[in-house]
Amino acid sequence: MIFPRRPDRSDRPVDRDESERLLDGAATPRPATPADPLARLLAAAAAPPRPGELAGEEQALAAFRAARAAPAPAPTRTTGRRLTTGALAWIAGVAATATAGAAFAAVTLDRQDDPTPRPGTSGAGPGPTGGSSPTGTGTRPGTGPGTGTGSGPGSGTPTPTPTPGAGPTPGAPGGGVRPTPAQVSGLCRAYLAKPAGQRVTVLRTPGFRPLVEAAGGAERVDGYCRQMVPPSGGDGTPGPDRTSPAPGGTPHRTAPAPGASPHRSKPATGPSARATRAASAPATRPAGPESTAGAQPTARRTD
Amino acid sequence: MTGELNEAVTAAQAGDEEAFRFLYRSLQPGLLRYLTALVGVDAEDVASEAWLQISRDLPTFAGGEFRAWTVTIARNRAMDHLRRQRRRPSLPVPVQALSELAGDADTEERAGETIGTESALAMIATLPPREAEAVLLRAVIGLDAQTAGRVLGRRPGAVRTAAHRGLRRLAAMMERHDQSPPPATAEGAPPRPRSGRGRQAPDTSRAEPADG
Repeated sequence: MIFPRRPDRSDRPVDRDESERLLDGAATPRPATPADPLARLLAAAAAPPRPGELAGEEQALAAFRAARAAPAPAPTRTTGRRLTTGALAWIAGVAATATAGAAFAAVTLDRQDDPTPRPGTSGAGPGPTGGSSPTGTGTRPGTGPGTGTGSGPGSGTPTPTPTPGAGPTPGAPGGGVRPTPAQVSGLCRAYLAKPAGQRVTVLRTPGFRPLVEAAGGAERVDGYCRQMVPPSGGDGTPGPDRTSPAPGGTPHRTAPAPGASPHRSKPATGPSARATRAASAPATRPAGPESTAGAQPTARRTD
Repeated sequence: MTGELNEAVTAAQAGDEEAFRFLYRSLQPGLLRYLTALVGVDAEDVASEAWLQISRDLPTFAGGEFRAWTVTIARNRAMDHLRRQRRRPSLPVPVQALSELAGDADTEERAGETIGTESALAMIATLPPREAEAVLLRAVIGLDAQTAGRVLGRRPGAVRTAAHRGLRRLAAMMERHDQSPPPATAEGAPPRPRSGRGRQAPDTSRAEPADG
């Protein structure tokens, strides 16, 4: 009558509460063997470790050592970085598009004073827009802040402030700041917008460090930037600057190249080569089937 | 225990080998016993695979109940193993285990602890899988019902019910065996002094809720 569903005559444990107590007490060391057979069974199941059970200790430690020595980061971390890279690439694409618009606007403003049509400037607008949006991965976060403000100085007051905000943002923790092509070109514009007398000084500020690094030294920034940026800042830049770049050699044409053909073996400039590596590295990294399995336990079971 | 374990986890994540050894010694026996119920004689191999993954993924452990994390890994490895095998191994119930466990305390003492553990595990392994897992996670691994539910992907109430059913089944198993020899307890008379709890009829109405 009391246990209609069960033909056996066991009346213990009476209810779930008692079962819970038995289960909770199973691993509790006790002085005497419990009288209740069920409690004895559970205590035996949860008895202290026996030597044979730890036979795999050295093997597990070897696995631990191997995992520590392995150069590859932990699988889940890779997944996270890949996701982050994707998200950041998307942001960078948007930022690059916005930057291009700003640059184009600035250029257009400049052109009002200058009746001569410059092929380089007209190419500057569509260049990044068409290039970095589809490829995405070629650019990195921070391009928005960096170049957005960087293009501003061309028409107004140049300040080195943009980069401190832009520099630390990318997901390269602990590593050096790797400037993106868009960031560098923004810095170049800001640099070229400076009067010649201030250029040396401004390169010593931390905000321009990415540019100096990208150019390979403060003394090379000038030539680097003239190659990189078309002589669009007609008002701010002295005359000689206009002579250097060929119309086709605008940076916006070259910048998308890393994303479009990451395996190009002959990068024209230092930064684009670096950008190529930066762009292709996360994309070509193998997914690692075990990595997802490693991430699964908590993810799948936790509910 | 949990605090000690967490400290060791942090140290092991930083590369401390002795901390990892401590983790292994603390967790491996429980994992191995749990795996024995799941995969039988292959438990040691599966445990090795689990520790391989534990040591590899240790840097990604982001906090929480570490025992639950490790047992989830072990369980997944066991499920993979069973999928490869396409069968669930059944451990034979040793008759000796029944005698030993259902008998009086003298027998238990004579039998010694080592056999007792194996026999107990063998008996638990005869339970339906859900019940066996619930009992083992609760009693042997030491998880609470909620954490065990997360490991099993079930609600805590379902885990409690399964564990309770498992315990009743085990008790019945032992009692049935206990009744066969003549000196066994007579029906109706309480065989041994109990822990002071009488029969509580009102409780029994909710003793066996339906489990989805």
